[in-house]
This record gives sequence, structure tokens and C-alpha cells, in this order.
Amino acid sequence: MNAITPAAVLRRCPDVRYRRIEGEAVVLRQSTAEVLVLNEVGASVLDLADGERSVGDWIEALAGEYAADRETLARDILDFAAELAEAGVLEPLE
Amino acid sequence: MSFGAQFLRVPDLFPGRPAGEDWGDRAVTLSIAGGPCLVSGLSAVQERDLRERFGGLCRDGGEAAVSLRVFRAPAGDFREIDTRGWEYTLDLDPSPGGLRVAGMRLMARLDWPAGASRLAGALWTCEAAGEEWTSVCENTLRVLTAYRLLELGGAMIHSAGISGEGEGYLLLGPSGAGKTTASRLCLEEGATVLSDDLNALVREGDGVRMVKLPFTGDLGDRAGAPATVPLRALLRLAKGPERLRPLSRAEALAGLVAAAPFVNRDPWRREALLDALQPLAAAVPAWELTFPRGARLWSILKAIPR
Repeated sequence: MNAITPAAVLRRCPDVRYRRIEGEAVVLRQSTAEVLVLNEVGASVLDLADGERSVGDWIEALAGEYAADRETLARDILDFAAELAEAGVLEPLE
Repeated sequence: MSFGAQFLRVPDLFPGRPAGEDWGDRAVTLSIAGGPCLVSGLSAVQERDLRERFGGLCRDGGEAAVSLRVFRAPAGDFREIDTRGWEYTLDLDPSPGGLRVAGMRLMARLDWPAGASRLAGALWTCEAAGEEWTSVCENTLRVLTAYRLLELGGAMIHSAGISGEGEGYLLLGPSGAGKTTASRLCLEEGATVLSDDLNALVREGDGVRMVKLPFTGDLGDRAGAPATVPLRALLRLAKGPERLRPLSRAEALAGLVAAAPFVNRDPWRREALLDALQPLAAAVPAWELTFPRGARLWSILKAIPR
């Protein structure tokens, strides 16, 4: 997979279901019966990965919620998006 | 590999509905969590062997909440399988209205007939008697019980269930995590092991009860009277230095989902599974536990903060 850029639009893979619980997310990947737990930032990324907003839009939305340095936040979000794509939780819009 | 190809010579001939030739007109009712379960269509020998296998869980007559009808199948319907070095996993084919199951010398289906009040199971096997027959029946009952408990808002969990002094502890972990070892350590201190393989969780008011299932590994009473205790804690077992770490509710839910066999592979019931397990995970404290070899584990469990 190509590196994720802020212009990328990602969505949750069709076999993914998740529940938000006290800020975290429990993610169920049906195709592999795999279960993941994401922290609050990861859970927010899942909420935002609707296939309409770009990763850059995610960064904008989350910058308002967290006090972290914007550049650091952006790098973390891009890395995290790439990890979730690699894990089959997110996929790029074709 | 397509459904059933591993176990069946002609998977396309899998029964399309619960019908066929009975083995006989005998039946046994089993007091299993989610039941009672009526197993019917049996020969006298099959009935005898099931009564011997399930012992104190057998009863005669009464209303059944779920049924399993047993039919004959020719031995030629099933492939011969070399089981050396092989981990047996049933082949499942879920759909919105039911489930097909293929395994060693068994074909089964669970159906939720429209308008019907109870889940109905059907099993086709060539096994007429003995441990081969009871194993086939038990494998089918495991799947039936998992789905029946989900229907009731509960769950069957791959786990070790430990009880004593009126309370229970559910130990989670994949194969090799130490569930059986933990069970042995607790037994040595006088605790009771409900099962070191599969246990049921059901809601009761604001709490959760752990219910013994007759499906065990090396430990547990396979045929004794039903037992149930209020669940005091969930413990996820891990390897490493001795430690007790609280789990978040998300971590507890994830552990339960991963440990709910059969239904966690069913895309048509994953929302129902999350719906059932989320309140269970929220109702009791959950911890990650690592323990050293030879630990006085039952004492450790009893000392866990409330």
C-alpha cells in the first residue's frame, strides 16, 4: 500500500464492526475473527473514517480535541491510519 | 475450500431441511444452560450412551427450550480424515436464518423457523454407538448451546470457570495461556472447577452468573448436576512476571468476544454478540493476571479487590 497522505480518503472495511466503550473502541474483524482494542485517538479515527472525509480532515477535527502539537498529531494520525490500513481495518476509497 | 469439502464426500448433498431417517424413537432431555434440550430420534443404544455420558444432566420429559433431532447418514457420506497432528475445527456456514455445520462424521443445521418459539437443531451422523457417537453429539451440542445462549442474551465462553465460597471467577485466554494449569492450582487449594474449557455467562439483574457446562477439557465434572454461581471477576491470563492489572471495559469486552466460539465467526450475529457481551463485560470487574509456577492461585483470586 502507498504511504497515507493527508489527501487520502479512507473508510472502514466492510467486515469491520466496532463499539465505543468509555472512550476506547473494540473492533471486530469478521473475516479473521480478530478482535482489537483501540485507544481514544484510534477510536476517534474509526469514527471519522466514513469514506467521505480525508485524513487531513481527521487531523483538523482532532486538533481541536487534543492539546498536542499539530505537527506531532498529524504525524501520529498518518502513522496510525497506515497501521489500520495494514491491519485491514481501513481501506482507501477507489 | 468450500463449505463441507473437508469432511463430506459430496457437500452439495448437505441436507436442505431437518428431515431424514430416524435412528429410533428414543429421546433424552438434557439440563444444559440455555435448555432444557430435547435430543430425539435416537436408538436405544444411543440413548443409553448419552445417559451414561451426561449422567445427572439427563431427565425424562418436561418442556424443552431447544431441540436436536438425530438422523441416520451413510458412512459413505463422510471423508476419512487422518487426524494425526491436526487440530479439529468444525466447518460453519452461517446465514441469516440458520447455520450449517460439517465435521467428522457429522452434518448439522440450526434453524430459526419463522414464527417458531425455539431454535431447532438437526444432526445427521453415521455413528451408532459408543464414544464416537457421544463425541459427535457433544460437538453438535456445543454449537447449539453457543447459539441458544446468544439467543438469550448470554454467551458460551472458552474459559476456565473456578468457584468457591459462593462466587465464581472466569479465566480467559487462548490455548496455552494456562487455563488448565490455573484450574489445577485452584483445585489443589480446594476450589471447584466448573469446566476448564467452556462455561456459560448469563445476565441476572445487574449481575452475571457463571453456569457450568458439560463440555470440559482435562478438568471439570462433565456429567454432574447443574451448577451456577454469581460471577465475581473476569481474569485474562497472560504469561510474565506475577502481576494483576485492571482491564478497561473495552479490553474485557474484547477478551470475551475473542473467546466466544462459533458465534464470533458468524457475520449475521456479530451485532447480537456485541449486544450480549457488552453488558456482561460492564457488570463485573476484569483483570489481567500473570502468575508464577506453583502459585497459590485460589488465594490470589479471592484477594482480588472488589
